[in-house]
Amino acid sequence: MTAAGAGALAGIKVVDFGQMVSAPFCAKLMGDYGADVIKVEPPAGDAARRAGPFPGDVAHPEKSGLYFINNTNKRGVTCDVSVREGRELFARLLRWADILIENHLPRQMRAWNLTFDEVQAINPDLVMISITPFGQTGPYSGWNGYDLNAFHLTGASSRYCGRPGEMPLEHGTFSADYYGAVAGAAWGMAAAFGRGVAGGGQQVDVSCAEAIAASFVGGQNIGLVAQEGRFDKRTGVGMPLGAPATIVPCKDGHVWMLALERGQWEGLCKVMGDPEWARLEMFNDMYVRAQNADIMYSFIEEWTMQHSKMEIMEKCQAAGCPITAVFTIAEAAAQPHLAARDYFVDIDHPDLGRVRNLGAPFKMPASPGGPVRPAPRLGQHNDEVYGGLLSLQSAEIASLRAAAAI
Amino acid sequence: MGNSRPLSGIRVINLGWVWAGPVAGQTLSFLGAEVLKIESRQRLDMLRTLPPFAEGIPGPDRSLSNHACWAGNGSVSLNLKEKEARDLTLELIAHADVVIENFGPGVMERLDLGYDRLCAVKPDIILFSMPAAGLTGPLSHVRTYGLSLTSLTGLDSVVGYKGGGPIPFENAFVDPLAGIFGAFAVVTALHHRRNTGQGQHVDFSQQEAVMQMMGPAYMDYVLNGRVGGPKSNEHPLGIAAPHSVFPCRGEDRWISIAVQTEVEWAGLVRAMGDPEWARSEEFATARARVAHIDALHAQLAAWTAQQDDRELATLLQRHGVAAAPVLNVGDLLHDPHFAARKTFLEVVHPLGFKETIYGAYVKLSRTPSEVRTGPMIGQDNERAFRGILGMSEERYRDLIARKIIY
Repeated sequence: MTAAGAGALAGIKVVDFGQMVSAPFCAKLMGDYGADVIKVEPPAGDAARRAGPFPGDVAHPEKSGLYFINNTNKRGVTCDVSVREGRELFARLLRWADILIENHLPRQMRAWNLTFDEVQAINPDLVMISITPFGQTGPYSGWNGYDLNAFHLTGASSRYCGRPGEMPLEHGTFSADYYGAVAGAAWGMAAAFGRGVAGGGQQVDVSCAEAIAASFVGGQNIGLVAQEGRFDKRTGVGMPLGAPATIVPCKDGHVWMLALERGQWEGLCKVMGDPEWARLEMFNDMYVRAQNADIMYSFIEEWTMQHSKMEIMEKCQAAGCPITAVFTIAEAAAQPHLAARDYFVDIDHPDLGRVRNLGAPFKMPASPGGPVRPAPRLGQHNDEVYGGLLSLQSAEIASLRAAAAI
Repeated sequence: MGNSRPLSGIRVINLGWVWAGPVAGQTLSFLGAEVLKIESRQRLDMLRTLPPFAEGIPGPDRSLSNHACWAGNGSVSLNLKEKEARDLTLELIAHADVVIENFGPGVMERLDLGYDRLCAVKPDIILFSMPAAGLTGPLSHVRTYGLSLTSLTGLDSVVGYKGGGPIPFENAFVDPLAGIFGAFAVVTALHHRRNTGQGQHVDFSQQEAVMQMMGPAYMDYVLNGRVGGPKSNEHPLGIAAPHSVFPCRGEDRWISIAVQTEVEWAGLVRAMGDPEWARSEEFATARARVAHIDALHAQLAAWTAQQDDRELATLLQRHGVAAAPVLNVGDLLHDPHFAARKTFLEVVHPLGFKETIYGAYVKLSRTPSEVRTGPMIGQDNERAFRGILGMSEERYRDLIARKIIY
């Protein structure tokens, strides 16, 4: 076992049969904390290798940023499960593994003869985490779909993001994929942990759409719509019923303007220099301020436009007011706070050189985690895994190559 | 022991409040853990006061949002202002495996429930802390709300319409996400304890966990120095077009369409009846389509605008195109897919009213989750004090009379 093997999940063996974001990120979380993860790619490689971002926008299968960040600490092999020899080889990996993570459409897994029933016949103790936009059952389980389709099926965008009358929005990243990946990691790892009491392996069916529709949107909305038949939609304002509570522009970008409780509002007023307008009755509490939001925000903006986001954040925080800077990714990456917590790690990659990476998502003092080894090159560990781990003879490996299974 | 839920036998004391901490407890409960949330009438959790209430009658045991977000957590009522109540909490912790809290840094110590204190009564206890920005570092005491915390990760800076400023996401997407992420961290720590006999104090910074979603944009920054901004619903890596939501017939009706392969593009063109404009050089390759994405989206929007969103999604799916209706909150209860998966269900609360909550947001094939109603304050007192702690009836009554148990 390598350095990462000393982590909390030491002893857990994972086959990552994923593409792009959801399954690879789920497997990466396990690899971050010490599971032994083998990434199985088709001969053409994970689609993330073709997705970028690439240095200088020059496409290269070993230089994709998306592949780099979601596949750390993994060993990589190639295997074409669409040919008989490849599927047999894949079955041997499944006999070795505790967990299989995949994010193919159900119809694709059927075409490869890799449904859960078939996988369970190969290894009854295996936990199979399937992360798809819509899930393994239900009328849309046969649909084609991506992150975008899953996210907009949840009600989240219609309810919470965008201006009324304009298109509802996703976050600008693969929100549904990440949410599903995290749900898959939590439920899948628990299923593996509890195989003894559960009596064996099982399928963990994650629908990215369902996870968000239920635990995010449903949590705060489904009771109202079921009981009273009415529901709310996006307003384009952070909080329509209390104010100030939205993103406002400032001199060098934007700040999240929040001053709802009395003490917070007084703190903000103090930082603004106790302007006379703020003493008007129409701004007395968060509710009347919300009713007079347009006027209030125009007053506030007059002030914010003269100050930088960091200045506003620091002064308001010191005055007890929960206002934060809206960091760009560059500013987020430059935070002394994150540096002080050793959030970032440098990884040496054979083709990209030394690259700074996001570190462990949470800190476990007794069993530190986080990315240590770079994402594998395509098929980098074929000999080590097939020859070493599965004890195949070199002649067998050669014949698998000849059959184009590897 | 076969067919018990995977975390059966694990006991969790949940000091978490509002949303993130309770969702961590809920997730562990869906997986079979016994979760006892500690709370008190002395200081009602904010979420218990959130309307709407069951049957329109206000009350701390009737908040519908509260019930959906907390269902699965049990409830033990202890007034932590009182030393005796804190001592009883410690006694319960001595019989537990995991403690969850999402206070600010230092609060547990002030309650005399710091990690060292916990270890004194249970040496291998797992303490899971999930403050906004971690337990240490210059920003560890930053004041934020769940919905604005993402401003510190860079995420808020990429949400919005192309070319415009950031649009606020109008609720705390991070809360349930961090709760589910937290459940993964807890299971990971349980695995470490099984391997080594060691517990630990997990430092889960919601900021750092959620910043993982920024991986793709972060890589573009690291590799190319590019700082991304809002781009509506376009592909996060700019490699696919069309990729957006498009207007449909009716008020605020939309359809999501994501085309990532040539086969899907051919399917879309076929579904549109092979229009002249789609044969233009401007749209001939993926690269060309991305380069002319605004023109492409305008053409597509003109085609979708007069069609029914569901009928159009069905048609496009028949042609292999990833398309799905954009649902609003009112659609969620009637959507055939969520209905088939029992994503939302009506339950009867012990107080006699019916309420609709969400069930298991991930499906396990062998050990399906048990769905419970939202907890009444103190519903598990008898079991906790008389059962787990073996307290005499007399002392139990006395503690209730003196509002220690309250």
